[in-house]
Amino acid sequence: MGIVRFIIRRLIFMVVLVIGVSILIFFMINAIGNPIEILLAERPGISPEVIESVKQYYRLDRSLTEQYLSWLGNVLHLNFGNSIVYNQPVGSMLVTWGWETVKIQVLAILISLALAIFIGVTAATRQYSKIDFGVMSTALLGRSLPGFFLGILLILTFSYWLGIFPSYGAYSTRSPLMGSALLDSLWHMVLPVMMLTYFNTATLTLLIRSNMVDVLRMDFIMAARASGLSAGRVVYRHALKNAFIPALTYLAILFGLMLGTAPVTETVFTWPGLGFLYITAIQQLDYPVIMGENLIITLMLVIANLLTDIAYVFIDPRIRLE
Amino acid sequence: MQDDLIRIEKMVKFYPVMRRGIFRSKQTGVIRAVDNVTFSIRRGETLGLVGESGCGKTTTARALLYLTAPTSGRAHFQGTDIIEVFERGAKEEILRIRRRLQYVFQDPYLSLNPRWSIAETVLEPFRVHRHLPENQWDDRLMELLELVGLEYYHAWRYPHEFSGGQRQRVGIARALAVEPRFLICDEPVSSLDVSVRAQILNLLIELQEKLGLTYLYISHDLSSVRFISDRVAVMYLGKIVEIAAVDELFARPLHHYTYALLTAIPIPEPDADRGHSVLKGEVPSAVNPPPGCRFHPRCEAALPQCREMPVELAPAGDEHLVACHNPR
Repeated sequence: MGIVRFIIRRLIFMVVLVIGVSILIFFMINAIGNPIEILLAERPGISPEVIESVKQYYRLDRSLTEQYLSWLGNVLHLNFGNSIVYNQPVGSMLVTWGWETVKIQVLAILISLALAIFIGVTAATRQYSKIDFGVMSTALLGRSLPGFFLGILLILTFSYWLGIFPSYGAYSTRSPLMGSALLDSLWHMVLPVMMLTYFNTATLTLLIRSNMVDVLRMDFIMAARASGLSAGRVVYRHALKNAFIPALTYLAILFGLMLGTAPVTETVFTWPGLGFLYITAIQQLDYPVIMGENLIITLMLVIANLLTDIAYVFIDPRIRLE
Repeated sequence: MQDDLIRIEKMVKFYPVMRRGIFRSKQTGVIRAVDNVTFSIRRGETLGLVGESGCGKTTTARALLYLTAPTSGRAHFQGTDIIEVFERGAKEEILRIRRRLQYVFQDPYLSLNPRWSIAETVLEPFRVHRHLPENQWDDRLMELLELVGLEYYHAWRYPHEFSGGQRQRVGIARALAVEPRFLICDEPVSSLDVSVRAQILNLLIELQEKLGLTYLYISHDLSSVRFISDRVAVMYLGKIVEIAAVDELFARPLHHYTYALLTAIPIPEPDADRGHSVLKGEVPSAVNPPPGCRFHPRCEAALPQCREMPVELAPAGDEHLVACHNPR
C-alpha cells in the first residue's frame, strides 16, 4: 500500500520538523531576554540572591542546551512545564484556552465552506451578471479589509449601537445571558465567528467561483448536457468536484493556520483563546507557554497538509502518492 | 426531401456584442454566427459541413441540439419540431429527443471528465435515461466498449491513461450509449494524430453501417470530408453557400468560395496544376458582415449586384444548390 508508506514517511518528517522548529524558537526567545529580569524590572530593590534563587527554581541558571533538552524530554512525557506568569501547567492551559479558539474557528470554517460553495457556484453559473459582480466585489472587499477593522465595525454596530451581542469575552462574568450557559456562550460567539466567516468565505468563494467558471467551459460539461442531464445536476455532479481541489488546499491552510489568525480576532474581542494567550505570553516572555503554542501550531500545519494530500487522492484519480 | 431525418429551417444564432462601461454594459452590435441556415440531412447519410474556423459550423450543430439556444429558427427530427420541444416540452419528451440525437466532441482531452473512470463516463447516460434495468448495464458497457474497439478492462481506467484516439473512442461510446439515430461529429479527428485519424474515420463508417446511423460530419479538413460524406454543405461566415453530393461538389464546384477551398487542398504532386484561385484577404468580421453576397470582397468574379443584392441558395442542377449571382 503506497498510501500507508507515504503517511509513515510524512510522520517521520513531521517529528524532525517539529523538533527543528522548537529549537529555532527556543534560541530565538532567549535572544530577546530573560523572563525573570523582565518580570522583576518593574520592581527594583529585590536582592540579587532572591533573583538567583528564582532562576534556580525555574532552572534558568543552566546552559541553554541543557534547558532545551530538559524541555524536550518533558514534552515526550507530555509534560509541557508550568507557565511562569500563570503558574499553571501549560498542558492543561493549552487544552482549556485551545477549546475556546477551536470553537469559534471550526464553526467559522464550516459556515464559510457551506456559504462559499453556494455563493461561488451561484456566481459562476451567472458569470458577468449583477449577482456575480456583487459577489466578486463583496469578496474582494473581504480579502483586502484588515481583520481588526471589520471586528471593530462589528462591535460598533452590534454591541455599541444596537446592543444585541456582547463585545468581549467568551462568557458573561456575572449571571449568564438568557439564564442558560449554552445560550450565553453561543451569544458571545456570534461576533467573532461573523468576522472570521467573512474573511474565510471571501477567499473560498473567489477560489470556487473562478475554478468553476473554468470547468464549466469544458466540453465534458456540454457532453453531460447533451446526454440530457439537467443544468443543476451537471453543476453539482460534474463541475463542483473538479472545481473544489484548489479550494481544498485553502481549506487545509485555514485549518492549519487557525492559530495564525487567532491573535488578531481574539485581541479584538478579548477572547480567552490560544491567540490571546500567545500574544500575552510573548509580551511577558512566558517560555513554556510560547514553546507549547509553537508545538501546537507546527503540528496543526503539518497535519493539515498531510490530510490534504490524502484527500487529493480520493478526489483526483490522476494523483498518486509516492 | 422525401426521407429527411433532420431538417433545419431558417436557423439563426446571434451573439450580442457588449461594451462594458463603468456601471452598465451596452449592446453595441451582434455577431451573426449563424444567419438563416436551412438544410436537411437524409436518413442514413453523412452530410459533411465544411468551412473555415469561426464560420458557424459548430454553432449550427450546437443550436440544433439546443446546447446553445438558437436566436430563432426551427429544427425537425422525424417531423417533430425539436426546438419547440427543448423550449417548452415536458422533461420526458426532451429526454426522448436527447436520446436520439447525440454529439461527438472535437477535443477528447476536454470532453471527458478527468476525474471519472471510463465506466462512469459511458454509464452516465444510463443514469439519466434509465432506458435499461441496472443489472444489464455491465453487459451493455462491455458491448459498447467492444463496439468502439476498446477492451473491457479499460472501463476502470481514467482518461489520462489513454491516447487521444482511445479517448475519442470513449467519446463515441458515450454518444452511442443511448442508441441514437443521429450523431453530430464535430471535427472528431482534427485534434488527433494523423496516424489514428483514418482509424477513427473507419470506425465511424463501420458504426454507421452496423447501427444505421445518420451523421452530420463537421470539419475544415476537406480530405476527410470527401472520405466520409455522401453530401457536402459549404459554409461561409454564417451562411451555407453550396450543397451538393460529394463527387459532384468536388468535380464541379459552382461557388467561387468552394472552388478556392478545393484548390487549397494540398496535392501530393509537385508539378500538378492546382489552379490559380487562392483566397485573397481575411474572413470579414461576423459583426459587420459585407452586404449583398458575404463573399464578394474576396471573390474574383464579383459582379456589381453582388455588392448589394443578398443571395439565397438556389437549385443549379441535379440536387445541387448554390448561393451565387455569378456561379462558375
